[in-house]
Amino acid sequence: MGALTDKYCIVGVGETPHMRPSNRTTLSMACEAVSKALLDAGLKPSEVDGMTSYQVGDSTTAAHVATSLGIRLNYSLDIFGGGSSTEALVAHAIGLIEAGYAETIVCFRSMNGRSGRRMGGQIPGGPIPVANADGDNQFNMGWGWTTPAQRFGMSAMRYLHDTGCTTKAFAEIAVAHRYHASLNPKARHRTPITIEDHQRSRWVVKPFRLLDCCQETDVSAAIVVTSRERAYDLRHPPVFIMGGYARTMTENPQWNYSRPVLHYVAGNYGWKRAFGMAGISHSDVDFVSCYDAFTFTTLIQLEANGFCGPGEAGDFVKGGRLQIDHELPSNLSGGHLSEGYTHGVQMVIENVRQLRHRADDACPGWAVGKHTYDRAAGCRQVKDARICCGMAWGYENMASCLILRGIAA
Amino acid sequence: MAKEIDYSKLRILPDYDTREWWEGARQHKYLVRQCKQCGHRWFPPTFPACSKCTSMDLGWFETAGKGVIHSYVEVVQPVVGAFVGTVPYIVAIIELDDCKEADGTVTRVAGVLTNEESEAAIGLPCEVLFEPTADPKIVMPRWRICGSVAGAWNFDRHEAAGR
Repeated sequence: MGALTDKYCIVGVGETPHMRPSNRTTLSMACEAVSKALLDAGLKPSEVDGMTSYQVGDSTTAAHVATSLGIRLNYSLDIFGGGSSTEALVAHAIGLIEAGYAETIVCFRSMNGRSGRRMGGQIPGGPIPVANADGDNQFNMGWGWTTPAQRFGMSAMRYLHDTGCTTKAFAEIAVAHRYHASLNPKARHRTPITIEDHQRSRWVVKPFRLLDCCQETDVSAAIVVTSRERAYDLRHPPVFIMGGYARTMTENPQWNYSRPVLHYVAGNYGWKRAFGMAGISHSDVDFVSCYDAFTFTTLIQLEANGFCGPGEAGDFVKGGRLQIDHELPSNLSGGHLSEGYTHGVQMVIENVRQLRHRADDACPGWAVGKHTYDRAAGCRQVKDARICCGMAWGYENMASCLILRGIAA
Repeated sequence: MAKEIDYSKLRILPDYDTREWWEGARQHKYLVRQCKQCGHRWFPPTFPACSKCTSMDLGWFETAGKGVIHSYVEVVQPVVGAFVGTVPYIVAIIELDDCKEADGTVTRVAGVLTNEESEAAIGLPCEVLFEPTADPKIVMPRWRICGSVAGAWNFDRHEAAGR
């Protein structure tokens, strides 16, 4: 067990709707998400003294949000980063609180991820008319290879070659996450799909079809971290942080196509530390979240984090294994594929709600933890959910993980 | 030339670390960085230090411009305007034949194939060629398949036969 295992908690979560387009500033959305997270925690703005965010030059800052909401901060920081940053900021918050730099910290992401700056150099309205290729872009934009789908497609293709599995394995993930979205009133895409629907959807970049790709949205989401002592005084049963790893990297992290095995991704370097810190084994995990910018990123991270052996993920996910009421439910809110793309915050938020037994589903009593577990009636609460492993992805080269424990079960 | 790219919609901006590489391409040389201390080679040249020995005393190695397709993607939906008329096109990661080091380190590069997408397969040999652009200072490398091998792996065939 780690020295700080279970000493820190996530006590508040909140988000805006997933919008396309928001017609709002990232500051406006961030204020809403942070306010909702504080309300959820039962904290007054004056009880927060730290605020952090991540962005890629596309968003507002902690200072702007604090100013708007009248919060005086003892600590503020905005880091450069996308996927895998949420979990890293949680780890960062633990260190700050432990060292006395702050007592209660809000971490947020706010992005007009569809109507504003899209990932991979895409712009609203179609292809970039004239592209300036400087820096790293000299050696990818010049060969029409810029977007996350195009980049991750290389390791996905090599994975199919090396393991023999087909894109039907990708389909299993799209189907599972969509099924969970069908139980989530907040999700953008709620109509269940089949393996065949996936296989018939149009190509974006082979080996990825439309239904392999996440739903870019405009959204802000926030979580509140504080010590166990404070957490017990707040509104919900605390969700304890058991362990994790934060923005762990592979060798040769920047240009990962020269790594010996393209699909030997960063999670491989982290999970033993995280599980050791948490003092658990894989069989203790009741459900997971697994960053699904693409179906493949979920597939490869299950393998990279030791839920199955090398090359086995394609078989591991077969037969609906990742669906609720099956062996390892994944992305209970529908994830980036079906709920909406938040650069990872939403997965942590859903995990917290599940561990509180307060998944905001169609059950009339969800807010007080009363669930029917009747999927046909729209219940998406995992029964007896106690421990969750959240796995996050930056690129092949970078990953985070956050193992959480609830006490409501 | 098959699969034309509209280079007038692409502006390459070389920098202090890369301008010699682009000058090499202009002379139809495919260069990779080489460490003068330990001999390690790498691509792209945007990285200004040797990742094996940290030396910044660097030179260039002129490759024969031949390698093997290690992986590839077929871009169907274009994002950069220069490629709107090119789709579908294949971007391949190519493992260079003459950059294999004693400890197993390899150097891989990437580029657009001139071939039709149905021809692409992991394992096939290919070679570089160079295309002029609207900017006389910039010549762009492309790659073409230059042979066949038994057991080359094509995505569409794999999917059709797959389990």
